[in-house]
Amino acid sequence: MRLLAALVTLLILVGTSTGASAHAALISVEPASGSVLASAPKAVEFRFNEAVTPGAIQLIDGAGRARDDARVTTSGAGISVAMPPDLPQGTAVVSYRVISQDGHPVAGSVIFSVGAPTATQPLPNADGRLDVLIWLSRIGLYLGLFVGVGGVFFGRWIAWSMTGMGMPRATLLIGIPSAVVSLGVLGLDLLGLPLAAVVTTAPWSIAFATSAGPALLVAMAAMLLALMALSRAWYARVFAAIALAGVGLSLAMTGHAATASPEVLTRPAVFVHGLAVAFWIGALAPLAALVSKPTPAALPLLNRFSRIAMPVVVALALTGLTLAIIQLEKPSALIETTYGLILSVKLALVLSLLVLAALNRYRWTPALAKDRGAASALKRSILLECGAAFGIFAIVAGWRFTPPPRTIVPETPLAIHIHSDKAMFQVLVSPGKAGMDDFVLQLMTGEATPLKAKEATLTLSLPERGIEPMERNAELGPDGYWHVRKVELPFAGRWHARIDALVTDFEKITLEDDLEVAPP
Amino acid sequence: MSKTPWLILMATLAASPAAAHVYLEGKQATVGGSYKAVFAVPHGCSGSPTVKIRVQIPEGVIAVKPMPKAGWNVDVVEGQYASAYDYHGNKLTSGVKEVVWSGGKLPDHNYDEFVVSSFLTDSLKPNTTLYFPVVQECEKGVSRWIEIPAEGAAHSREDKSPAPGVKLLPKP
Repeated sequence: MRLLAALVTLLILVGTSTGASAHAALISVEPASGSVLASAPKAVEFRFNEAVTPGAIQLIDGAGRARDDARVTTSGAGISVAMPPDLPQGTAVVSYRVISQDGHPVAGSVIFSVGAPTATQPLPNADGRLDVLIWLSRIGLYLGLFVGVGGVFFGRWIAWSMTGMGMPRATLLIGIPSAVVSLGVLGLDLLGLPLAAVVTTAPWSIAFATSAGPALLVAMAAMLLALMALSRAWYARVFAAIALAGVGLSLAMTGHAATASPEVLTRPAVFVHGLAVAFWIGALAPLAALVSKPTPAALPLLNRFSRIAMPVVVALALTGLTLAIIQLEKPSALIETTYGLILSVKLALVLSLLVLAALNRYRWTPALAKDRGAASALKRSILLECGAAFGIFAIVAGWRFTPPPRTIVPETPLAIHIHSDKAMFQVLVSPGKAGMDDFVLQLMTGEATPLKAKEATLTLSLPERGIEPMERNAELGPDGYWHVRKVELPFAGRWHARIDALVTDFEKITLEDDLEVAPP
Repeated sequence: MSKTPWLILMATLAASPAAAHVYLEGKQATVGGSYKAVFAVPHGCSGSPTVKIRVQIPEGVIAVKPMPKAGWNVDVVEGQYASAYDYHGNKLTSGVKEVVWSGGKLPDHNYDEFVVSSFLTDSLKPNTTLYFPVVQECEKGVSRWIEIPAEGAAHSREDKSPAPGVKLLPKP
C-alpha cells in the first residue's frame, strides 16, 4: 500500500505536461500504451476519473486495417473494448473518443503490440475547420442569449418600451441557428466525423445524449420565447421573464463550470452568473439606442437601470469569482494554463467593462441630467461596453477547447518498475516518446523504504538499432528523487535501461530492464 | 594471412582480463590459511594520477596488516565483524574493515602494487571468488572497482568496473 501511495504521489509529482485535452481524464488503461504483449489481449480496459459515455472507439489492427468488430461495453467510469479473436501480430491502435459528464469529449489513443511492433500510425485528429465552427457557433449562441434575450427582458421589464429592439432581434435570429449548429458540430466532434457527415443522424443523436443537448434545446426555447416577447401580446412580459430564466438554466445544465464539484454551489452560481450577464449586457444595445435620440423618459430610465444594475453586477462578480476559484484551484494557474490565460483576458475585459459602467453611472448619467450634450459621450461609452462584451464572448467561447486546471491530470508518462530482492527502482519517463525525455528515478530498498544513494547513473541503449549504452548521471532533486533531464532518445523502440545506485563507497546496486519508447 | 598471431593476441587478452583494471595479483588463495593480497594498479583514472587507494576487507578476512609503502600513508578503518572468528585461540569480533593508502601520487604511466597480509577464515566458501572492492581516487575523478557479479556467475563482459577477486581453494 505504501508503495502504491508512493507511486501515485510520484505520478502526480512528475506530471508537468498539460496533455489532457478535455475534462474527464483517463486514469489507466490495460494493457498500458506502448506495451508489447506475447499474445493478443482479450480486451482493452479503460478507466476514467468519472463516468463517461463512449462516442467513437476505433481499432486499427497490426495489419493496419480498421476493424469494426471490436465490441465496446461500458460500466460507469470503465470502458472495455473486446478485441476480435483474430487480432494479427504487430502494433494495434485503439483510439477512443468519449463524452465526459460535462458534455465535453475526451480523445486519445492506446498503442500496444502483439508479438513485435510494427509501424502503425495513430489516427489524425479532427480538422481545424470544425474547431472554428464550434467557436463561431458558440459566440453566436452567446450573442443570442445575452444580447438577444437580455435585450428583450430589458425592453419588457426595465424600459417598458420596445425602443432599440433592433439589435436584440438580430442577435436572436443569429442565436437560434447558432444553437442548432452548436449541436451539430458537437456531435461531429464527439464522433470524430468530417463536416460532411453533419447530414447524417449519428452526430445529432450522440449530441442529444450528452448534457449539452438538452441545454442547447433550453437555450433555443429561451431565444424563441424572447422573439415572441418582442410582439405586442399580453403574454410578452411573462415570456421575456421565462426566457431570461432559460438563459441561466441552459448555462447551468452543462459545461465545465456547472459540473464542477460541489454542484450545489456551482450550478446555482452559473445560473445567477448567466442571469446577471444577460441583464447587464442585454441592456447595453437598447440603452445606446435610447440615448442616441434622447427623450424626456431616458433619464429616469437610466437612473432606474443603474439602481438595479448595481446589485446585479455585485452578484455577477461574486459568482464569477467563486467559479474561478473552484476551476483554477491555485492563482498560478491564471498564467500557467490556457484556461487561466483565457480567464485572465476575460477578467481584464470585465474590469474595463466595469470602469466604463462606473463612468456611465457616476459621470455621464448625472451629466445628462444637466446637459443634453453628454448624450453622445454616454452613447460612445455604451458602445465601448458593447465592444468589450463581445470580446468577452469571443474569449469565453475559447473555453470550449481548454480543460479547467482542476481537471488536468498529468499525462501518464512511461513507467517501468524494476525489482530485485535488494532494491526496487521505479523509472518514469516523460513524455516517454522518441525525442527529448526526462527521467525520474525513484530508488527504494527491497522493503519499499527510500534507498539512500550517494550517486545514481542511468545507462540507456537500444540494441535493436545498434545504439550502444549512453551513460548519464542523475541529480538528486529536492523531491527526494533522482532526475536525469533532457535525455535524447533518437528512436522509438525497445530501449534497455540500467540504473546504478551507489549506496556506499564500495557498494553499488544495479538494476536493469527494457522500456518501450513510443514514436514521437 | 595466418590466423595464429590473432589467436595468440586474443588468448593473451583473455588471459589477462584485468589488464585495464585494478586487480589482485595471484589467481588463487586457500581457505583457512594466510593470504597476501597484492593489489595491482596499472593506471590512473582516465589518465589522471592515482592519489588514494581504498580497499574494503570482505567479511571472513581477518588479521589484516597492510604493508607500509614509501611515499604513501597507510591507515586502517576498524569495525565490528558480522560474527566472531577464532584466530590462534583468540576470539576476534572486530578488526580492520578498510585499508587506505593516501598522500602518494602514482602517475598514469606507472604501475604499482599495494599489499595487505591477511588470514582467510574457514567461514569462507571454497570454490567461490572472494571480492575486495576497491575505490581508486585520482587527482581528477574516481574509479570504483566495486562490481560484484551475482553469486555463482563470473564477471560478464558488460561489467565496466569489476571488483578485484581471488578464487578460493579448499583447505588441503
